[in-house]
Amino acid sequence: MNRRRLRPWLIGVLGSLAAGTTLVGCSRQPSDVLQLGGAIALTGNASLLGQDARTGLEIAQQHYGQQQPQLKLVIEDTGSDEASATQAFRRLINNRVVAILGPSLSQQGFAVMPMAERAGIPVIGISTTAPGIPEIGRFVTRVASPVTVIAPRSLAKAIELTPRIKRVAVFFAQDDVFCSSESTIFQKAIGAKGLELVSLQRTSISDTDFQIPISNALRSRPDLIVISALPSDGGNLVRQLRELGYTGPIVAGNGMNTPNIFPVCQKHCDGLLITQAYNPARKNPSNTVLLQQFRRGRSADAVPPQVTAQAFSAYQVVHEALARVKANLPKGTTLISLPESDLRQQLLSTLLAMQFQTPLGEIRFTPEGEVIQKDFSVARVSMSPDGRGGRFVLLK
Amino acid sequence: MADLIQLLLNGLSTGAVYALFALGYTLVFSVLGVINFAHGAVFTLGAYFTFLLIGGAVGANGLLAGFQLPFALPFWLALLLAGVAAAVVSLLIEHIAFRPLRERGADPLLALITSLGAGVVLVNLIQLLVGAESYAIPTSALAGLPAAIRLFGAQVRTVQLLLLAVAAVLLVALSLWIDGSRSGKALRAVAEDASTAQLLGIPSGRMIQIAFGLSGFLAGIAGGLVGLSVSIAGPYFGIGYGLKGLGVLVLGGLGSVPGAVLGGLIIGIAEACVPAELSGYRDVVAYGFLFVVLLLRPQGLLGRVLPTKV
Repeated sequence: MNRRRLRPWLIGVLGSLAAGTTLVGCSRQPSDVLQLGGAIALTGNASLLGQDARTGLEIAQQHYGQQQPQLKLVIEDTGSDEASATQAFRRLINNRVVAILGPSLSQQGFAVMPMAERAGIPVIGISTTAPGIPEIGRFVTRVASPVTVIAPRSLAKAIELTPRIKRVAVFFAQDDVFCSSESTIFQKAIGAKGLELVSLQRTSISDTDFQIPISNALRSRPDLIVISALPSDGGNLVRQLRELGYTGPIVAGNGMNTPNIFPVCQKHCDGLLITQAYNPARKNPSNTVLLQQFRRGRSADAVPPQVTAQAFSAYQVVHEALARVKANLPKGTTLISLPESDLRQQLLSTLLAMQFQTPLGEIRFTPEGEVIQKDFSVARVSMSPDGRGGRFVLLK
Repeated sequence: MADLIQLLLNGLSTGAVYALFALGYTLVFSVLGVINFAHGAVFTLGAYFTFLLIGGAVGANGLLAGFQLPFALPFWLALLLAGVAAAVVSLLIEHIAFRPLRERGADPLLALITSLGAGVVLVNLIQLLVGAESYAIPTSALAGLPAAIRLFGAQVRTVQLLLLAVAAVLLVALSLWIDGSRSGKALRAVAEDASTAQLLGIPSGRMIQIAFGLSGFLAGIAGGLVGLSVSIAGPYFGIGYGLKGLGVLVLGGLGSVPGAVLGGLIIGIAEACVPAELSGYRDVVAYGFLFVVLLLRPQGLLGRVLPTKV
């Protein structure tokens, strides 16, 4: 076929595609369906957390998506940096979502949550636990309890289990705001318990080889090692600590609170102590749904990671708050008929006033948007002898 | 004394990885005069290939969720085959991202962008296929060897020593091949001047392919070994090594094989010398050192100043 004959065909095909795209773009959502944004890290270093969150959001969408009020989940990839997160939030804001769940990292949260605040869109952090997140603005809240609440518990448990602990070495990823702030809290707790901080090693979330900082730390003969890192770097650090001969207890921060560390540190993950905001044994309807749906296609005793439970809970609180808003509307009024700003405002105020029975247990919020969660536990990682499988065993 | 040996061993084992990485960059740079930015992605692929060939199963995410090869090879054989597979991918990159531009006489700098594009596509493809989770080559892969050994009072991981040994063997083999073999000399001739080499009957295109194949092989081997050493921390784990390898390449002297090794070892030792309280600033020290060396010797430690052609 020569080029002249090809051209009209090409123009026709491209024209049809363009027209089709325009029609699709202009078509309206069914009138009673609201869009809910999910902004999570599906690429980059934080994608391990994002994958866990996506699982939770998708399970929640399957369960709540068809219940009234109907929600359609729109997921955007925030990458693992602030620039990508900004683009994801911009797309969701332009998409006129009723609320945004995410982002994955506190570091991203400080960059993008103010955007949602300016747009008047409630944003519910899934795994953003750094201090100062709810203080970003009136529309900013989270279901992830702050590190100030979480971090000291595992340290206290380590001391309870090994009373001889006197000397502590701390590792933290200095280029991540969550890890830095969590480590500050750990260090304060170490001082408050009268322990001696004998070594402080700064690493990076992109580090893979820790032989040098480990050699530095082990020279000070610590009785306990405390790590604030993300799954990949933290898992590697644990593995190399064990391979280089450290046999004492290790407390890991919330950034490593995912089964995704198991393939990294393998049998060396055994014994890690991590505070858990999620207890799979909790008995309530939403946790039952989460467990049942999560185990489809997985082993019958598979346990959702904490971030999966947090993502599910974030979706649940929005859905239940919207249902309450809907129930309180005058007869004949629908959620979709409300002006967007009114709807979002009512969603926020209702959400902050309610109590929820989530997989995380009973949660509610302060007027500033900080989550109040009652139940926490400390888990000890237990690995199979070949290092291929592991689980978090909750300690009493 | 034990502290000094510990520091030296830490530096050498870290530097060996950088050197292995930079060797691949060097080979391509020496024949084309451009840096192959897809090298980090090939390195990453080498690690994934090794993982699959030893019988590893893909996790729950990605299009290949649950996939596992029907056989499991011993680690060293898997590593070798992963190197070969990475070499094939590297040849494909040459075919898609470099050759079309070269044949059209485009500015070599444009190949920087096409190789960067190829690298980004590869990394995203990996994530699409196998997800973002970490994969680990089981520590049992080195059956019989202890996890760490004590040398002159210093503690060092066995796998790091293996990396150092493999890097040394590959360096020697590569140097012998380049200096002593007919095809190695042909590669040097192409590196010197591809057009003249072609006129003298040396198939420049073939030599460029050999450079890419070897570079990919080295990247695959390095990826598999690093995967064994520190696990495969997701599809992006080659990026950090890629940046460091680039620094090593420049420090050692662009296109110099011994320079790549020397540069790698120097940066490794420079990082090891950073005191504990500044451990988070190792990169600043490494790149600061690179900056100072380049101010004093812009051609790098073992690079040559090329005369201007008239």
